[in-house]
Amino acid sequence: MTPLLALVRKELLVLFGSPVAYLTLALIGTVTALLFFDHLRIYNQILFLYTTTVMGGFDSGTIPDYVSVRDTVFLPVMEQLALTLVGLIPLATMRVFAEERLRGTDELLFTSQLSPAQIVGGKFLATFVFVSLLLGVSFVYPATSVLRAGLGIEHLLAVYLGLFVLGLGLASIGLACSAFTTSQLVAAVSAYAVAFVLYDFGWANSFVGESVAVVLDRLSLHPRFAGFAEGVVSLADLVYFAALCSACAVLARLSLDWLRIR
Amino acid sequence: MSSARPQRTDAALSASEPEADTPPRRGARVEARELCRRFGRHVALDGVSLAIEPGETFGLLGANGAGKTTFIRLVTGYLLPTSGRVAVDGLSPDTDAQAVHARLGFVPETSRLYPDLRVRSFLRFCGGVRGMRGEALEEAVERVIARMALRAVADRLIGNLSKGYQQRVSLAQGFLHDPALLIVDEPTSGLDPRQRAEVRSILAEVRGRRTVLLCTHDLLEARELAQRVGILSRGRLVAVGPAEEVLGGENPLDLFRSEELS
Repeated sequence: MTPLLALVRKELLVLFGSPVAYLTLALIGTVTALLFFDHLRIYNQILFLYTTTVMGGFDSGTIPDYVSVRDTVFLPVMEQLALTLVGLIPLATMRVFAEERLRGTDELLFTSQLSPAQIVGGKFLATFVFVSLLLGVSFVYPATSVLRAGLGIEHLLAVYLGLFVLGLGLASIGLACSAFTTSQLVAAVSAYAVAFVLYDFGWANSFVGESVAVVLDRLSLHPRFAGFAEGVVSLADLVYFAALCSACAVLARLSLDWLRIR
Repeated sequence: MSSARPQRTDAALSASEPEADTPPRRGARVEARELCRRFGRHVALDGVSLAIEPGETFGLLGANGAGKTTFIRLVTGYLLPTSGRVAVDGLSPDTDAQAVHARLGFVPETSRLYPDLRVRSFLRFCGGVRGMRGEALEEAVERVIARMALRAVADRLIGNLSKGYQQRVSLAQGFLHDPALLIVDEPTSGLDPRQRAEVRSILAEVRGRRTVLLCTHDLLEARELAQRVGILSRGRLVAVGPAEEVLGGENPLDLFRSEELS
């Protein structure tokens, strides 16, 4: 086992040694199920109204396009799942660097064969594995809705790629926040603050000029995810999330240097 | 003040050239020259010059806040010096970190462990991040488990162990890769007399075979284990010499008062 893999394994062991990992996984499973069945109930109600009361039958051809599994169930669930990730991922990332520093165990890492870049890389990698697990737990209901409604596996994969890169971006923000503090609470709150502000800068449009609004929109997480939700995989969006992860990793790496020279 | 005349520390230190990456058999040489470390306006170490020879057990003594832990952190490369130089076998902990860490076993204070890991998993992790793998890793883990009498608790969570056992786990990870230089920080702090005796007997076993830098404020421990000792007071090395000579005076506690020596 290489030093990097040993670190990744340890991170996962520590993560699953605490209840936080299980609670987060249980939460995302529950939230996804609730969202899915709630939207399915709404879809069924709309469908019932159209087929029985309003238009008088299923074959009338009068059900509008927007009353579909895609628009009434799948896309809203995916949108809300993305927002759920904003709420859950900082819970998993808050302890990664902060706890290590608080306990002083970071000295064990620094006196090992791991370079500072490998320490950051290992912690990011382990967290990314956990994000993948989170999405795996949430996969079954959206997959059912897509396959049963005949939307196509390509659309489902595009959305999950979007959720995956969004999850990695949020995890990177959380890790960077954790790297600058010894308090898990501070790490979580700062990650929430950054993630919610960055999620959608649309709220700032009325306060800034049009050109600034365009820039803010391009920096926002949600518009980037929206493309994936529509089934469109764009290289620009992938580059955006890769740049976000890289910037956060560089910040976390700098925090280790800052520790040594402060 | 002690009746013995401690050797002053401004004696010239011999220069040493960097050696090959292979750790030497008997122990590593540690050398500090005019080592200074400031934290803002606070001077933690002030011009410390010191040489520890291969195979020597050197006791670094001082009251709390004297600069012992700062000195350790500069040797391990966890901190960078404000000025001056520190080297292990002529290698810089900053620029030749991996080569230095290959020679280094670091035993921090008891609390710097992962309470959510089991003893065996923790030792495997420590070996893994030091580049050990496969059978060699498993053999090393079993060897230190036997040597530190950890068999009975090998599959228990570290957080559930007594302080004495936790300290043995800490020592076990330090011995895992049979390092040329063992740095031990307050090894018997908070232990009962029996546990202290056990830890001291473990450290006594390596005397003469490996270089040991023992940081403590326990004079008895230093006298029992160390061949030479240095006294740090307010960041300055105020005395250094053979343990019996430096600590053999009528009232060795006077050595902790830097004003009387400088």
